[in-house]
Amino acid sequence: MKINVFGDNISALVCAGCLAETGNHVVLVGHRDNEHSEPNLTKLLDTQIDAGRLNISSAFDIETEYQIISFDPEQCEEGKRIALSLSKGHNPDRCIIIRSNFTMGTTKTIEKLAKTPCIVNPDFASEGRAIQDFRRPDRIIIGHRTPETLTQFKRLFAPFNRNQNVMIEMSPESAELTKYATNAMLATRISLMNELAEASESLGADIEEVRQGIGADQRIGTSYLYAGIGFGGTHFAKDLYRIHNLINPSGSKEGLLDAVIRINDQQKEALFRKAWQHFDCHLEDKIITLWGISYKPNSTSIEGAPSLELIKAFLNQGSILQIFDPMLDADFTMWMRENLSLEQQKRVHIATDMYEATQNSDALCLVTEWQAFLSLDLEQLKAKMRTPLILDGRNLYDKTWLNDNQFTYYGIGR
Amino acid sequence: MIHTHAYAMLQPLAESMKAQHLKELFAQDSERFKPFHLEKEGLLFDFSKQKINTEIIDELLNLATEQQLDTWIERLFNGDKINHTENRAAWHTALRDVSSPNPEVAKQWRKMESLVNQVHQKQFRGYSGKPILDIINIGVGGSDLGPLMVTHALDKDKHEHAPDVHFVSTLDAQQLHKLLKRLDPATTLFVVASKSFATIDTLSLADTAKEWIEAHAPNQEVVMNHFVGISTNPTKMSKWGILLRHQLIFWEWVGGRFSLWSTIGFSIALRLGMQGYNDMLAGAHAMDQHFKQTPFKQNIPVLLGLIGVWNTNFLNLSAQAILPYDSRLKYFASYLEQLEMESNGKRTKRDGTAITYRTCPILWGEVGPNAQHAFYQLLHQGTERVMSDFILFSQGVSQPDRDRDRENYHHNLNIANCLAQSRAMMSGDANEDLHKDYPGDQVSNTLLLKKLDAYHLGMLVALYEHKVFVQSVIWDINPFDQWGVELGKKLAVDIFEHIKAQSVDDLDSSTANLLKNIWKQRHEN
Repeated sequence: MKINVFGDNISALVCAGCLAETGNHVVLVGHRDNEHSEPNLTKLLDTQIDAGRLNISSAFDIETEYQIISFDPEQCEEGKRIALSLSKGHNPDRCIIIRSNFTMGTTKTIEKLAKTPCIVNPDFASEGRAIQDFRRPDRIIIGHRTPETLTQFKRLFAPFNRNQNVMIEMSPESAELTKYATNAMLATRISLMNELAEASESLGADIEEVRQGIGADQRIGTSYLYAGIGFGGTHFAKDLYRIHNLINPSGSKEGLLDAVIRINDQQKEALFRKAWQHFDCHLEDKIITLWGISYKPNSTSIEGAPSLELIKAFLNQGSILQIFDPMLDADFTMWMRENLSLEQQKRVHIATDMYEATQNSDALCLVTEWQAFLSLDLEQLKAKMRTPLILDGRNLYDKTWLNDNQFTYYGIGR
Repeated sequence: MIHTHAYAMLQPLAESMKAQHLKELFAQDSERFKPFHLEKEGLLFDFSKQKINTEIIDELLNLATEQQLDTWIERLFNGDKINHTENRAAWHTALRDVSSPNPEVAKQWRKMESLVNQVHQKQFRGYSGKPILDIINIGVGGSDLGPLMVTHALDKDKHEHAPDVHFVSTLDAQQLHKLLKRLDPATTLFVVASKSFATIDTLSLADTAKEWIEAHAPNQEVVMNHFVGISTNPTKMSKWGILLRHQLIFWEWVGGRFSLWSTIGFSIALRLGMQGYNDMLAGAHAMDQHFKQTPFKQNIPVLLGLIGVWNTNFLNLSAQAILPYDSRLKYFASYLEQLEMESNGKRTKRDGTAITYRTCPILWGEVGPNAQHAFYQLLHQGTERVMSDFILFSQGVSQPDRDRDRENYHHNLNIANCLAQSRAMMSGDANEDLHKDYPGDQVSNTLLLKKLDAYHLGMLVALYEHKVFVQSVIWDINPFDQWGVELGKKLAVDIFEHIKAQSVDDLDSSTANLLKNIWKQRHEN
């Protein structure tokens, strides 16, 4: 089958690569600037280009059967422009698929411009595992209006629906809202867990134990139940703000998502607050180590990452930072230049080794749960750190073991 | 004043002017507005609805010259110690001299800016590490009214990251307790503003605030993260516990009622941002330049002051109403009450001899449209002759989320009411039925400003400050001391001791019996 995929983001690149992989002829109408942060994406694209199934171009054929719009949410106008040019086509079998997370109602506008019904197929893949999520999705949401387009869509996505049927049919409007609602639900779970974590601390409970207890309830389940230092990421937080704006005028106006966002924002500074309280509000000249800058492991993305809030908070109190992240890239340097004064930038030291970053340190903050941080070399830490203090933002470590080894340990909610 | 040549010339002029009705002056000259208004960028001063003519204005200007107003203005701006009873300068103009900043003043601006930025960037932390979200300004008199008046007036222009700012001043602590009940101690910062850092009103409230933080903070060491001090006395601030980095300074030469231009304006800067605070200073500075450099005949504060003197001492008017036609200026009249009455409400000349003429009239006021339903009855039909200042803004409030037509409608209604009231007071309306007869002949000024923003408000406040100064020179008063407020403070200490001892010995019978009744009632259900 012949397909045009419009867009430059990871979602577009993965979609183009995976559809080429299943034997289609795909033209990616965009470029390949953004693939570096997604594991295995470069390899996938190179392989498909070499096999001749994937082309990258700025030109496209409006008569192509499948037209997949996969722009960023902000590129709504681009989407409309493409729809307008597609309206000039004559292919009666064309199928326009919108995978972009546009503002609610945009589908209708695009359908009007393109003069044809569209399919809404929201992308639920998470950053860092986008390819496997595309190949083996746990659900394929299909928002459609006509049986013809539905059949066409199912044909195209059949290779990804083989083990069991994960396709769910609904109206385009429901599909649009499902995408938003999913993120809102997940975010709400996380913020609720963080709220419970704070309560655990003052009540002498351990949120890890509480988590296992409630996760065992089948109605609740275990995923997205981790208390931590807040969620970040390009899409998650952004979508949350968008759905917040969306349901605010039409919902109960009780501000549930407001609270979810506020709790999350506060949570990003949780480790700072623990250090601040530990040192009785005196953090000037303290050397603070941060392990992990990206908002999640195996990603270079720092957008909305808790580490950035911690860096600002510590620097504003006069601390010196020693940081280590396995995949730190130019985005971080750029962020520093845009958000920190020159004097503050001088107090940030980027280490090339995780233990080097703990030299003379007064506190080690575990921020992102990269695999390399899972097991601690306590002897090395003890030898290097000035104050044996560990602030565990992901509840990775065994607090008893650390206490037995004369470390002061603070987790989240324990 | 009364021994000047001009005074002698003005007296007969007053007699003939008293016999004339204000509306006749307009009837005699259809272009009366022209000679009796002044303009400066952003401000128009219409004094055509005053019972004056050019001859009177000329003699008033002569009076100013005879009283050596020019020398006094020079001394004011030079920072001479013209507050001679306290041996201090009254150099508030130096606080806002944005064209050639005083280095000491500029140093405090920088410190203030750094604290303001910390709060706005949510990096000013309380004991828990959470950022400060609420500010409680504890201060009385000048340390309260100025910031309260300005922050209320300019709330629309608040900084996007501004914290909520609350003001407490009354020593019964009712305002404070109400706030403590609903605010989170972890995210509340107290700004303790006191010139001497010894005023019982302020310190008693600050102590209550400190106890509240102590009750919630994990230990004593972290309590002072919740206090910023503003005073002329760093030693006393340190003794009370204010951290050095949280101390903002001003100087003996800043009078309390002129202190909003100093670091006392910290709450203003927190609410408006440094840009807003600087705009306010710039507006005041523009008025300073105008006052200092403009010939008296075109000088707005000089004329505003002289007309007040004319009304008080020659036409025998007994009160001054302040009538802003903008609800954002809710506290403006209260602010002027202190500025004018604490400055010129005096009966002693600079040389220590008694004054034999009238000085500062009773001043009061209210937002115009509200006052229309309150005391305008008295203005229109009462027996008291009153002078009024109408304050109006050409541009109304414009908010992007509001309906533009409705905004215009309301603003035009407001303008119409303001102009109608001053016109009605001027012309009156004769009626055979005395119940419906309006005598008119009530004089007024109208101050028309372009819009209500930090710049224009700064200009307006400085205008009144200089008006007060002009009048003090004519009346030969030191406007910068306030000995009149001391006796009450002293007696309060004495009565407080009586209350503690539950004794009425040596008290007069009224005070003694009031106390006895209070004690009795306090033990009743």
